[in-house]
Amino acid sequence: MKLLSHDLHTLSGAYAVDALDPAEREKFERHMNRCQECSHEVRGLQATATGLAMSAAQVPPPELKRRVLTAAARTRQLPPVSEHRAVVQRRRPQWMPRLAVAVGAAGMAVVIALGITLARTQNELDSARAQQHALAAVLNSPGATMLSARTTLGGSATIVVSRQLREVIFTSEGLPALPGKKVYQLWLMAPHHIVSAGLLPQPANGRMPPVLASGLLAGDKIGVTVEPAGGTAQPTTSPIVVIPTAS
Amino acid sequence: MEGMGIPDRGASPLVRDSGSGDDRADLESLLAHVARGDQAAFEVVYDRMAGPVFGLICKVVRDPAQSEEVAQEVLLEVWRSASRFDPSRGSATTWIMMIAHRRAVDRVRSATAETLRNERSAAAAMPAVPDEVAETVETNLDRERVRRCLDALTDTQRESITLAYYGGYTYREVSGLLNVALGTIKTRIRDGLIRMRDCMGVTW
Repeated sequence: MKLLSHDLHTLSGAYAVDALDPAEREKFERHMNRCQECSHEVRGLQATATGLAMSAAQVPPPELKRRVLTAAARTRQLPPVSEHRAVVQRRRPQWMPRLAVAVGAAGMAVVIALGITLARTQNELDSARAQQHALAAVLNSPGATMLSARTTLGGSATIVVSRQLREVIFTSEGLPALPGKKVYQLWLMAPHHIVSAGLLPQPANGRMPPVLASGLLAGDKIGVTVEPAGGTAQPTTSPIVVIPTAS
Repeated sequence: MEGMGIPDRGASPLVRDSGSGDDRADLESLLAHVARGDQAAFEVVYDRMAGPVFGLICKVVRDPAQSEEVAQEVLLEVWRSASRFDPSRGSATTWIMMIAHRRAVDRVRSATAETLRNERSAAAAMPAVPDEVAETVETNLDRERVRRCLDALTDTQRESITLAYYGGYTYREVSGLLNVALGTIKTRIRDGLIRMRDCMGVTW
């Protein structure tokens, strides 16, 4: 559908309440970048929508707080966007060829790029680029190794381990979307101690954006289980895949 | 929290874009602390925003377990990307609630959530009901103001906005649901929001 500039402008309301489909949203964002009047209007309407949001407040489940704070303590933060852009521009040509040498033609580059292609808005794109940067750091670290294994639900899981950074990238291909409210949960498994590394994104068409987990210790295995919505503190089902990080 | 000089007010402020109220400055400076890895500051942000985030997601997603999961993702995203918050583009509250709304909408639009969709249109048409909300004088007043401004819209504007915002429908889907031309829905959403903006005194 061909949209004239005037038509685009009147999408400001639908944009502010996230009521555009991805193609239109992208088109509107491009337009807004050039149209100061539009971006001013959108900000006012987004602030208005915040009123609708705040009026729906509810008391959250008490256990949510501990889960969020624990997850935060384990989660690496994104660097500010301006610095990061410059770094990515400079680094990209360097790490792409090195990646090919380090981990072979196993499609990891495609996986990393997937994070970018799944991004739909500028914010998501910024976030995806920053994540790409963090992933590149793991891939670039000396001695980074890649390991793959089949899962019991079909498809394969792949990890890239950096012992130096104590980080691991997890991704999968061909995992089925889970029925009902189940989620995939990632674990760092030591012989007598298992810690959650967070919930995995739902696979879309068998693909899953890569996930970065920190705090890896020597001898940890990486495991994935299927858990009820929101995840659990410890695994409650048998892992669908376990990959040792040391050979 | 001692030594940070940032009081925890407990109650969530509503929209502070229009003024330079203390609450707004608080949440923004808290985010600046969070961006530098301050977990204590993040806990204050959590206490302030978890209720609004969870409530909005419940309104859109409906299912409590899934809502909790999305809320966790959103609050963690606030931690991860605090450095990306740009105060020149809106208040910290708006930034956080935009992340929450987008994630909630992404969840209900994904194919696996298909079964939820049937329940949504009826639920979205209901006004925001404070089921189990920790009511404070402040949130009551804010809620009252939003409701009054929502009531001041025409029925068709209100219906389009609530279906889009609380129902998580695209304006194309709203047009299909109400059997009204696409251009009309687009205009209703925009005009309605502009009217609400003026009623609520939001200036940005």
